[in-house]
Order: sequence, then structure tokens, then C-alpha cells
Amino acid sequence: MSTMTTRRTARGTAQGVGASAPRPDGRAKVTGRFAYSSDLRRDGMLWGATLRSPHPHALIRRLDVTPALALPGVHAVLTGEDVPGSRTYGMKVSDQPVLATGVVRHHGEPVAVVAADHPETARRALRLIRAEYEPLAPLTDPEAALAAGSLVRHVRIRHGDLAAARERAEVVVAGEYEVGMQDQAFLGPESGLAVPLPDGGVELHVSSQWLHTDRRQVAACLGLPEERVRLVLAGVGGAFGGREDLSVHVHACLLALRTGRPVAMSYGREESFLGHVHRHPARLRIEHGATRDGRIAYVTARLLLDGGAYTSTSPVVIANACYFAAGAYEVPAAAIDGYTVFTNNPPCGAMRGFGAVQSCYGVESNLDRLAAALGADPLDLRIRNAMRPGTILPTGQAVDGPAPVAELLRRLAARPLPPREPYDPRAMPGGVGNATRGESVRRGVGYAVGVKAIGYSGGVDDGSVARVTLAVDAGGPVARVRSAAAECGQGIVTVQAQIARTELGVERVEVLGADTGAGDAGSSSASRQTWMTGGAVRGACAAVRERVLGRAAALLGTPAGALALDGGAIVRADTGEVALELEEALAGGEITAEHEYRHRPTTGIDPETGQGDAHVAFAFAAHRAVVDVDVELGLVRVVEMATAQDVGTAINPLAVEGQIEGGTAQGLGLALMEEMRVEDGRVLNPSFTDYLIPTILDMPPVRMDLLHLPHPDSPYGVNGVGEPPSLSSTPAVANALRNATGLDLPRVPVRPEHIAGRAEEVRPGTT
Amino acid sequence: MRPFAYRRPADARAAVEAALDAPRAMYLGGGTNLVDLMRLGVAEPDLLVDVAGLPYDTIRETGDGGLEIGGAVRNSDLAAHPAVRRDRPMLAQALLSAASGQIRNAATVAGNLLQRTRCAYFQDVSKPCNKRIPGSGCPAIEGDHYNLAILGHSAHCVATHPSDMAVALTAFGAAVHVEGPGGRREIGMPGLHRLPGDRPEVDTVLDPGDLITGLTVRPLPFAARSRYRKVRERASFAFALVSVAAALDVEDGTVRDCRVALGGVAHAPWRAERLEEALRGRPATEGSYAEAADAELDLAEPLRDNAYKIPLARKVIVRTLAELGG
Amino acid sequence: MRVNFTVNGVEQTADDVWEGESLLYVLRERVGLPGSKNACEQGECGSCTVYLDGTPVCACLVAAGQAEGREVRTVEGLADGERLDPIQEAFVECGAVQCGFCTPGLLVQAHDLIERVPEPSDPEIREALAGNLCRCTGYEKILDAVRLAAARKAEAGR
Repeated sequence: MSTMTTRRTARGTAQGVGASAPRPDGRAKVTGRFAYSSDLRRDGMLWGATLRSPHPHALIRRLDVTPALALPGVHAVLTGEDVPGSRTYGMKVSDQPVLATGVVRHHGEPVAVVAADHPETARRALRLIRAEYEPLAPLTDPEAALAAGSLVRHVRIRHGDLAAARERAEVVVAGEYEVGMQDQAFLGPESGLAVPLPDGGVELHVSSQWLHTDRRQVAACLGLPEERVRLVLAGVGGAFGGREDLSVHVHACLLALRTGRPVAMSYGREESFLGHVHRHPARLRIEHGATRDGRIAYVTARLLLDGGAYTSTSPVVIANACYFAAGAYEVPAAAIDGYTVFTNNPPCGAMRGFGAVQSCYGVESNLDRLAAALGADPLDLRIRNAMRPGTILPTGQAVDGPAPVAELLRRLAARPLPPREPYDPRAMPGGVGNATRGESVRRGVGYAVGVKAIGYSGGVDDGSVARVTLAVDAGGPVARVRSAAAECGQGIVTVQAQIARTELGVERVEVLGADTGAGDAGSSSASRQTWMTGGAVRGACAAVRERVLGRAAALLGTPAGALALDGGAIVRADTGEVALELEEALAGGEITAEHEYRHRPTTGIDPETGQGDAHVAFAFAAHRAVVDVDVELGLVRVVEMATAQDVGTAINPLAVEGQIEGGTAQGLGLALMEEMRVEDGRVLNPSFTDYLIPTILDMPPVRMDLLHLPHPDSPYGVNGVGEPPSLSSTPAVANALRNATGLDLPRVPVRPEHIAGRAEEVRPGTT
Repeated sequence: MRPFAYRRPADARAAVEAALDAPRAMYLGGGTNLVDLMRLGVAEPDLLVDVAGLPYDTIRETGDGGLEIGGAVRNSDLAAHPAVRRDRPMLAQALLSAASGQIRNAATVAGNLLQRTRCAYFQDVSKPCNKRIPGSGCPAIEGDHYNLAILGHSAHCVATHPSDMAVALTAFGAAVHVEGPGGRREIGMPGLHRLPGDRPEVDTVLDPGDLITGLTVRPLPFAARSRYRKVRERASFAFALVSVAAALDVEDGTVRDCRVALGGVAHAPWRAERLEEALRGRPATEGSYAEAADAELDLAEPLRDNAYKIPLARKVIVRTLAELGG
Repeated sequence: MRVNFTVNGVEQTADDVWEGESLLYVLRERVGLPGSKNACEQGECGSCTVYLDGTPVCACLVAAGQAEGREVRTVEGLADGERLDPIQEAFVECGAVQCGFCTPGLLVQAHDLIERVPEPSDPEIREALAGNLCRCTGYEKILDAVRLAAARKAEAGR
């Protein structure tokens, strides 16, 4: 045994839990070296392309691929007949065809795929495929679909004594609201590279939110056992729910297996808009009954979501919409009915906020109407009825964990309103369009608050697995973390590294790439990954620590409990003095441990009453939007977005802020401009020319007030933070527009034409 | 994208000759519109004649206060030119309100004039469109047209012209220099762009082989007080729902002269001649501006979902003139 | 066709280029520089922004033939060897990078802004970056990063 100097005191490990540690992939991303799923190349590689249906509903009368196959450079053309395994896939229900056979059910549905030696050759081959369709009448109106029984799921929640509450209610306010079809609009297009393996299997490098569930579906379609299908997470250019369903996955693998060559696929922007699910458009009817003193007596809600042509995650999106359709309030009685229907519109599924965005918009819009009817201040009304720990949800579960709804709203109220700035045309509605010099500009202020469950609700058995190794190599002590958690930009790689630093006291942490060789980490969705995989990494670190301290204790003849890991060494817990270098403690070999983290169990909800302890945890955010509206031209400038959110313990405060700012921007986009326009089932605007998302000129400063109430059930007291900002930001903007214009504005996005010329006769506050 | 040939001629004559070589030849300037349209399959040239490198990239002040602008001048350079900023603010503003910095750095003046419509049906090759495929029909008339034309449209096409710059140039009455198979000629604006009529596939009066080499903007002293206002759905990088370019000459409270053109409302940049006529000699008051705007907008025939553009245009016109009129 | 041009100071020759390829495609597929990103290929998002003869343009809208004889500088050419440019450092430090797909184009565009306007105001930053879409950050941290990099460059220049 060497006798290295031990006269050293560890001073804590930098960049651990609670630090705004830089992203481990940051350097690669700013130098252009980070390999996204669209950047992967192999020698001898082919390019895949997809033929899609131009019709929302049609019989496929003929599909002749021979002319395409005859084009020089084309190596394979496959149709639905060539799918060796399951011809359908789906996260919840396997009903989405890999390649349509017989019938197409939505515009953009994949019909055939091609592999060729140049992407342009592949695209030309698509045009040579003779596809003949017999168009059928598309079912595009969700109400008609509901009437026709084209139902995905009806969620029914009955809470309290509604009849008595109706008796008690002195003021009743009902409103109908609509949410347009929003798109995730991540910037990195769907893409991947499939490489055939010598054993007849395939390795797929792909953008994903959940590798293991992708593999399950891919293997089934390929007719291969899961162990011969390996998925590797390639660089992901944003996700926001749009990568929960498969895109290029099966197609690229089919082509690679057929040709025996690696096949890359990468969608263009138009294809991306057609190639992933969208946020469900919604029609909402919300009714509030209240007593004159401003107490909510009951809420009824009817939510109709258009699920489009296939199931995707619709059954759980509608459940999530219904769970919180009474808002972040104490509501003694509620009757909530939510429906998702099948239509021939584009399939809808997961997007950040997952159903709760739509219901939050409805309930928060109606709450402002209730305030007007009561003559109450909208903020006071919200505070008076705010949910708190112990509040019984419409599903019968008591809210536990921190629930500082009133406090969040008070923080917003306490923040001074932004001052009127000196005139600058760039700061007027319409910005550099010079449309306004201040004529007819009215300022409005709007509030909204939202609640969402964190993690999977409704009895889903959810866990995450991580493996951690502590070793010493030429560079000194190092912790290696391996999990299958999908880094989509949110920063789970940073979080994993920070946790390992804190738990193992080493500064150098390598977060290995995610692939299906690691245990299942579950999805990067439901704001769950920091909690779940964070918990798994922490647990694996704890197991590693126990073993290394055990070894050290034996070597030193000291009780393990008197030792700790810090500064890359084994230290005395009381003084921090280095007791043993890690190199010595690990002389017997590196130490690896795996841990599976599980959250507390939940239950499903009763199909008749909606009652059940369905949720793991709750998270809350509130927004205040300040807008300037040129009421004549309908132009809007959001002056400021203020937000208050309880984020629990922040593992990485900078990343938390980034999530909140980004979620707020997406909510602003839904309020003001973002909508997939669909006409008779056909998408009209699949481009960034026509599907507008906020630019840097549209986004105001986001003023933030964060609470850090540690969640009692989670690792370190963390809570989910990614989704809540996307709930309350949209209705806050809408309420501010209503406040400024006096118009009802029942539908988002609100476009200039919805305001222009309609607001002049209406005085604000007189709806 | 269909295969095509690519040539870089040495001068304008050679370019014109090259363009006449192929039935579907097109000139390539900055590529910011054409390359996109080719990728979408909307434009399918068999020959690209790259004219971006021809020596038409200068801006020259004529002694009398006019400007000679080369067809290959970049939009960003034109917007930044002192004589544009100083003497023709509406042109600088129109340029800067369009697209993004990167696009303006690449887009040429000639290419900007020849942009094709952003009508969603035109852009999508899976849909009918009379402009793309003559006789295939115009689904926008019954379909999604909230951002389309209210003036000068036909039963065959309700598209709008997307350029901001062209609206300002139309207000100026700029003269377009054309090098064509038959030699050089000038086309005044308005006059370059057509209304759709029964031939919406033809955007301009240019003949095959015609190359825009530049334009002349004659002196218009009162345009030192001019303005371009644009209403769009996003704070930047979006096409106009309605835009107005206006210059006003007021003396002793009376409108001596004016130039007004509208964008986002028609198949061509729309010179508001009736408005101008109605305004000359009238008192410079909001009432006159509103009456003059009405004189023009009386011509409007809104579609089902874009009638909002009429009051919108009226307000933007009145405001712009009121600002200029003091 | 053959295209000769200079990329990040290195002369490059790309052979067998098809006329319909864009500068972006040539950079990514023929020169081995995939840093410039293919997010929309319509000039609407700015993630492919590169310097072309010193001026930022969308590489997706430049026809390959138009790159002949020109000088191109991409995100891969911003750092001086292993030393990051201040704008790159600031993006990492300020949290301006999440998924990072918009980052290469934003870096080039922001780099150009700071070269032209050493200490840009917030409205100037916003106007300069209005052609670069970001879906993750809400732009706040991007503004922070540009301010920081500009301040550092100004400081270094004093």
C-alpha cells in the first residue's frame, strides 16, 4: 500500500447539486461537433425517403413501385406488404400503420419508403411510384365524430354534491373556448440512421424521448426479438412531446435490413410537420357556479379533443385534461366529461403540458369571466379559491406536497407592473413594421395559474434505472453514469453529472451515451426525468459509495460511518481531512452499482366516477402577462411575462430558468400565432413560413419569482418544472388581451383579424 | 427537384441568350425565393442562369437627386444606402420590414420584385392552383384566404404579391430596366406586375428571356417625408396582412401631392391612384385621408374571411397619412 | 459539377456536385462540416447561417454553384483552434444552449452583430437575431449571452 500524503482537506465538490453547472455537451454544441440524428453518416450508406398520402381519407387503389425501383441509384422500395412483423404500432394501442395498406386515414400518412444513393434520387423515386387513390369523405368535425361514435375515450369525473352546489351558487358563468392545433415545432427534424447487424438484427441511432418503448414497437414491426434491436440515442434537436411516437424508426430499419446497408433518413420541415403528432385542438365548455362572496361552488366541464386518425397518446391526454379541468382551486363539486375522438385530421398526441394546457386555458379564461360577473378582482378571486395542501381534487385525491398557489399569485401581485417606456417604434405593437406610433394602443394585464401532475398518473408502474461506476484512470478519479434517459435539450445529462458529483465527491463525471443496453429510464416526458432518473442515479451512487467506503473502512480500520467521499478522495466525515485517496480505495478494481428508482404507487381512476389516487405529485405555476394592443390594427406586443413557480429544489438553477422561459415562450406562441391550419383534413401550413413561432422580437423579458419548497417524496426535494410554464402562460396572455380590448376572444391563437376593428366600440372591463 | 443545367454567363447579353436556350430557363439572383420554390417542386426550371455575379450591384446617385439601382444589389445594401435612408425612408423601411437579416443579405433587388406569392395553395404542389397549373382551379377562393387579396383579384386567383420593397417602389413610380431578346426597355411601376385575370400563372409583363438589370427611382423631394407601415401576425419575419407606403407633400395645410401604394391586398403592389387623386388639393386632415382611403377601398371585393382587411387598410392609410401630414 | 471555394480558411474542392444541391448540403455532405444545421431548408429558421464573403446568409438557399470562388465561414470556424470565441463561451455559460440545434446559426449571426456593433443595445440584438428561431430557450438566455460576449469583446479591445 502506498503512502500518499493524506494531509489534505476536501472543500466540497464543485458543480454538484444546486450549482448552475455548464452542460457537458455545451462545448460540442457551440463548435458544431455535436452529432444530431441528422448528422450521422456511414460508408456505403443509403438515404431513405417517404411517400405520403396527399389525401386525408382514401382507398389505395393501386401502388406500383416498379418504375421507382427501375431508377438508377434506387436500392429498395417498400410498402406495407413488406413489413415482416406487426403492420401497426402505437405507444398505447397498436393501430397506426407502419405503411398504409388499403386505406389512408390522414394527410401525410406514410405509404411507401425508398432507399437510394442520394437523397435527391430517393425523392425522385417517390415521384415515380404509381399511387392511385379513391378519395373518401373525410370525417373532420370532432362533434360529428363524437355523434358518430368515433370515440377514443370518454373520461368521466364526478365530485361532490353537484345538485346542492348548484342550489348554493348565486352566480353562474359559462363559456365556450377553443384551442387551435399547436405543433411542437422542434428545430431538429425527425431523423436517424439504421445499421444492419451481422446477426440479422439492427442498430438504430435516432432522436427519441424514450428509447425502450421505441424499441418495443420497432422490434414488433420488424418481427425481431427485442434483443436484436438496439436503439442508440443520437443528438436530439428538441422534442416537447413530438418524439414520443415513432417517425423514421421502423422505416429506416426496414430499408437497412432489406438492403443490407446503413440507411439514413431525415425529414424536411414540411415532412416534419406532417410526420409527428400535434397538440390536440380542443373545444371546451366550462361553467363556474359561485357564491356572491366569491367562493367557487362548482365547476362543470365538457372537453372535446380531436385525436385525429390514430390513437397515439390520446387516451391519457384526455385523462390529463380532465384531472385538472377545475383548475388550481378548491372546488367542492365538479362534473367533468372529456372526450377524444378519431377523425381524419392529423393525429394528435403528446405535447408539453399534455392536455392540461387545453383545460387550463378553458378554466382560467372562464375564471376571468366569473370575476367580471362577481365584480371581483381576477387575482383576488384566484387567491380566495386557491388550492392548498389537503384540497380534495375532483378525482378524490387530497393534494399533498407543497401547494403554494395563493403564495405564487401573491408574488405576482407584489411585482410592480412594468413602467410605460419612452416611445420607441420597436417597442410598439407591430415592432419594426412601424404600424403603430401609439395610436389606439391599450394596455392589458392578465393572470392565470395552473396545476399539473408530475410523472405518470393513473396507476402506471413507472421507474428508471441507472448504473454508476466509480473508477480512477489516467485522468484521476472519475464517475461514469449510464442510463437510457433521453437528453432532448432539457439538461438531464447535466443533472445526472451533478448528482454523481455531489454523491461521490468527484468532479470528473462522464455521462455515457444513452442506448437500450442500459436499463429502461422511462420517457423524457411528464416533467419526470430529473425526479426519476435523478433518483436512480442518486440511488446507484449511494450503493457505490457504500461499497467504496466499506473498502476504505476495512483498509483504514475506521467505521465506514465516519468516512465520506469528497474532493475525489475518502475523507473523515467530521473534519473533511483526506483519509485515503480513491486510487487506493479502488486498488481492488472499480466499483459499479445499478439502481432502479420507483415513485410511490398510484391507482387508476374509476371509469364511472373518475375517483382514484391517480397522481404522484403536483406542480404549480402562475403567470401575469402585460400586453399592449393596438385595438384598431389588432397588433399585440407582450410587454412582459412575469411568472411565479414552485420548482422544489433546483438541481441546476440556470437550467430551471431555461425551462421556464422556454415554456413561457411556447405558451405565448399558442396565445398569439401558433396553429396548424387544417382544411378538410389537409394541413395548409406545414412550414416555418406559415406556421409562425415566436421570434426573439416577439418574446418579452420573463420576470421570475421561484419558490424552492422541497418536495417531501422526491430525491433532493426536486419537482418537475418543464411543463407548468406552458399551462398558465397562454391564458395569462389571453386574459390580458381581453382586459385590454374588452372582447371575449374565446379562441387561441388570437390573430390580428380577431381584434382589428372589433375592440373600438367595447370599453375594457365591460364584457 | 427536377434536373437542370446551371450557367454563369459573363454579361447581360449572354444571360439573355442563355435563357432563350431552354424552354423553362430562369434567372437566379440571391436564390432566397427560387431555391426554396425549386425544393418545394413549385418551380421546375430546366436551366438556371446565374446572374447574381453580373455587374449590376451598384447604387448610383444621379445628379438630379434620382437613384440608379442595380438589379443585383442586395436588399440589405439598398436599405442601408444613405440616399435611400435620407431621401426615401419608406423604401428603407419597406426593405427592413421584410424577411430577416440573413435573407436581406442574399436577396437581390430584381429577385425581390419577382418573388412569387406565398399563398399556401401555390406553395403546396399536392393542391390545385391556377397559378402553378393553369386550369387546375383555385381552392383559396372557397378555402383558407384570410391573408389573401381584396383588390383586383379574379375568379381564377386571389393571391397577393409578397414583396414589401415593391410596394414602396410602386409608390415612387420606379422604372424597371429590362434587357431582353429585343434589346433594352423600361417598364414603369405600377405596370411590371399584372393582375391575375384569367392568366394568373403570369405574374409580370416580362417576356421570356427578359432580365431586370436595375431600376431608376426618379427624384421625389417630398418623399423625404414618407413612411412604410406593415401589419403582420408576428413582430418580424412575416408577410404583410396589409401594408402602406406613403409620401405626402403638404403646404399651408393643403395636400399638394402624394404617393400611396398598398401591399398584402392584391396580386400586384397596388398603387392607390384613386386615393391620390381624391387627396390632391384637399386639406391635410384626417377627414380627407379617410375619404381618400374610402375612394380607393370602394374598389375592394373581400372574400368570405378577409373583409377585415378593408377597415384595416383604411386605418393604416389614415394613420400613415396623418403622421406624415403633421 | 466541381465547386472550388474556401471554407474556414481552407481551400476546398467538391466534385460531382449536383446543380440542385445547396451550399448547406455541400458543407454537410461533401466537405464534412455538419455543424450548420438543416432545420427548415427554407431560410425561415436561420440555423444554417454561415458567413459568405463575410456576410451572414442562409446556406440552405445558396445554390451550390453560387459558392464557386467564395469564402465561407461556418460555426466550425469561429473558434481559434481549441480556444472558443467569446460568443461560444458565453452561450455555454449563460445557458443559451439547450437542444442546440439553432445554436450554430445563432452563433454566426451574433458573431456578425458584435463585429459590426461592438456594444449592441437590446433592441439591436433582437433585430439582428430575428431571423433565427429557437424553440427551447425563449431567447432570454440568448440575449444574456450576446450581452456578455459583447461586453467581453469590448473589454478585450480596450
